[in-house]
Amino acid sequence: MTTAAQDFLRSAAEKSANLTHRHILRKGIDTYNSAVTRGLSRFMNWEAARQKCHEIKFETINHLDRYLLEFEQHVKERGGHVFWAQNGEDARKYIADLAKRHNVRTIVKSKSMVTEEIHLAAALEAQDIKVFETDLGEFIVQLRGEPPYHILTPAMHLTRDDIAALFKEKLGDVDTNDPGELVAAARRALRKAFFSAEMGITGANFLVAESGMIAITTNEGNADLGVSLPKIHVAVAGIEKVIPRMQDLALFWPMVATSGTGQPISCYNTLIGGPRAPNEFAGPEEFHVVLLDNGRTDLLADPEQRDVLHCIRCGACLNVCPVYRTIGGHTYGTTYSGPIGSVLTPHLRGIHEFNHLSYASSLCGACTDVCPVKIDLHHHLLHNRRNAVTAHERPGSEGSEFKMFRWVMQSSARLAASGAIGRMTMRAIYALGLAGTFFDPTRKWTKMHAAPKIPRESFRAQWKHAQVEKK
Amino acid sequence: MPKVSLFIPCFVDQLTPEVGLDMVKVLRRIGYDVDFPENQTCCGQPAFNSGYWNDARVLAERFVDVFRSSENIICPSGSCTTMVRNFYPELLASTPKHDEATKLGQRVFEFSEFLIKVAKVSDVGASFPHRVAYHDACHALRELHLKNEPRELLKHVRNLELVEMPYSEDCCGFGGTFAIKFNMISGAMGDTKAGNAEKTSAEFLTSTDPSCLMHIDGILRQRKSNVRTIHLAQILASTAEAPR
Amino acid sequence: MAQSENPGREAILSRIRTALTKPATSHPAKTTGDIFFPIGDALERFQKECGTNNTECLLTDSLSASTAAIAEIISALPSGPIFLQDAPILRRLAPILVSDRKVQWSTEGLPAEESQAAITLAETLVAATGSVFASAACGGRGAAVVAPTHIVLAFTDQLVPDLEAAFARLYQNGAPQKNSMLVLITGSSRTADIEKILVMGAHGPRRFVVALSPRAE
Repeated sequence: MTTAAQDFLRSAAEKSANLTHRHILRKGIDTYNSAVTRGLSRFMNWEAARQKCHEIKFETINHLDRYLLEFEQHVKERGGHVFWAQNGEDARKYIADLAKRHNVRTIVKSKSMVTEEIHLAAALEAQDIKVFETDLGEFIVQLRGEPPYHILTPAMHLTRDDIAALFKEKLGDVDTNDPGELVAAARRALRKAFFSAEMGITGANFLVAESGMIAITTNEGNADLGVSLPKIHVAVAGIEKVIPRMQDLALFWPMVATSGTGQPISCYNTLIGGPRAPNEFAGPEEFHVVLLDNGRTDLLADPEQRDVLHCIRCGACLNVCPVYRTIGGHTYGTTYSGPIGSVLTPHLRGIHEFNHLSYASSLCGACTDVCPVKIDLHHHLLHNRRNAVTAHERPGSEGSEFKMFRWVMQSSARLAASGAIGRMTMRAIYALGLAGTFFDPTRKWTKMHAAPKIPRESFRAQWKHAQVEKK
Repeated sequence: MPKVSLFIPCFVDQLTPEVGLDMVKVLRRIGYDVDFPENQTCCGQPAFNSGYWNDARVLAERFVDVFRSSENIICPSGSCTTMVRNFYPELLASTPKHDEATKLGQRVFEFSEFLIKVAKVSDVGASFPHRVAYHDACHALRELHLKNEPRELLKHVRNLELVEMPYSEDCCGFGGTFAIKFNMISGAMGDTKAGNAEKTSAEFLTSTDPSCLMHIDGILRQRKSNVRTIHLAQILASTAEAPR
Repeated sequence: MAQSENPGREAILSRIRTALTKPATSHPAKTTGDIFFPIGDALERFQKECGTNNTECLLTDSLSASTAAIAEIISALPSGPIFLQDAPILRRLAPILVSDRKVQWSTEGLPAEESQAAITLAETLVAATGSVFASAACGGRGAAVVAPTHIVLAFTDQLVPDLEAAFARLYQNGAPQKNSMLVLITGSSRTADIEKILVMGAHGPRRFVVALSPRAE
């Protein structure tokens, strides 16, 4: 078992037993569910909306080179720069060099999963640059020295008391657990950063090919400050974020909001095209878009799972996942958690180290049901499992077990015989009070369950008697 | 008399035979002749779900052979029905038995699905004077799109009080080998499900899937709960003369 | 950027082209038809949505009435400069809007940190979501987010039913081409990052006002 798999099991066991943690997540997700129910009622035909989003993304991803080139052309026409980064290292180096050239001392950053993916903040801080996460949830986990817990709500695992204690310690001028005052404290602290930063880094929810503009969505307005005040704006985005037309946002903006938080639409949906235009009086002098591959072209090359690149990072699949709800976001041990993370991570970070994530699911299918772009999430977990077996990445003992299973099941006589022996053995073991002990081959089951009642006769045996009696 | 064939999941055969026997009782009661292809074994789902598609494929091809001459095939499990109908086409893609398997899948029905949609019967003459909560098993709900069918049948059971439990559509946590490989997560999910069942003050929890019920039952008994589990087929088999 | 400076460009494009030689299949459409409910009366819908998203929509019957309403809001604010979009109509109305307060015009640069309010125009108003579509031409970047109160002077002929119509109108007016920024504002800045409790005024304005009248004086 790899270290990542061992860490996962340990953390999952810990979180599964933690009733407080489960309660906090349940509360958060109940709030989300009510909001989404209201949000869905605004759609006359939600299924048609999902289908249309799926079709737009399908068209784009299957002509990705064309749309990326269109996007790049228009960005350049507006005076922006486009850098194509094959991996995290390329992206970090480009941005770090840019910061160095411009003597950047302070950076303000808005929420971006892709910058987490490439560990950008750490690379910049190693150059003695202070990086401020400005999204409140991200700001909170940054102060705690933790990664974000969830794609959309990074601090959902914390109570207001946790945050109050954190702010009291780190910010100083705070002594309250009232959410309104805590938000005001964060605003005060980050204002200084916004007005002194030389560079603003954002992600991009969408890259619009037609106009060479990037779309950034927030409720707080932090990204808007970040693209207005500093001299340089850098936007980092996965290559799969491109969409063909501005008009497509008329559907995507409400879809992301509804699936992500249940809102009809988020508060600030901003489109940025280039640095400040010549006739404008405020805004950055330079604009850079960093397009990141980092394994996405591998996924693109897999026609069966290419639709995983349709993901618009709304977080809905995390919210409905009963496994996520039990173990929380940190247990996954990687940037993308929940169902999308379990599907994506073996592709982006290797099937050797991360195939266990695709196995850590009961395949309930709730994720597939809610995905606004109709990704076949739980079926892809099955595909990843099949791929792991084909690539010989599973323990040898597991393969042998299934060979044995197949051999037994190829004959009803073998099934009947081994079943009878198995049942007899288990009846004896349970009768001797050995359930759950070393002698109990079913102890992984009996650890969490009362020992099952084992019948004396199988169905097929009873059927046979009944047929004999009938005659 | 119309005839149906029984598809008895391997673990029902070995661990919960009463589910299969009660399904037979109900089918006969509503006028069906029932046969059991005795050389059947397993649909292959455990191997398929764990990624061992070559092993699963062998068993799928065998399944097609076993049930070749059956007409309608009835199964007391949403997950096994799903395996045959929804996954055999993909598993057997580009193999000689693909088309036959696909057609066979159209003739395999989960038990409540068969009663409501094919036999067109909602009242099977059952009586079960108890308060009962219903758990929406995931495959039955999301792969076979069964939500109303089991409830329709339960509503026609004499003296049965059907209650909806909170989060009835949440997964119970069984998930096949998931319950072994990730037993603490599975146990926590089952614990949550058991707690929700208890909130209804129901005497019994029922579902279309015996695997879910086995899992929830083991957890309820470990919690020393007042709620017991019973499969839908057993409720439908229960009559005033021969109550379950 | 020259090929030598960004070898990743050709590498990535090449990988994309190779990947796409294998075709994928899409989901067949199981349902078609209109996605959203019909809008009905746009003004009514706009007001209703503003009520839900915490936008103060002041519907008046004339430009002078809107001006007076804004002036009243401004007079009640704590002392500090007011940031105004440098547009002919706002130049004309400034003395009434802000009386003797210090004015910062958008042509001077970003709003000052101490500004108490920003007053701008808009590109278009969207009834379906109760939103205001603004651009860099409406006071520049930062106009909508720096000051704690943002007031938009708008006219009923700017109202369109939905986002699709809004984008069409923007293109008609050349807004995407002429601006480096467009922003769809729906309500005042907010966050629910603490226990999912809604708090207004995170980084952007706590108060968002739209003074709306027919275009007549």
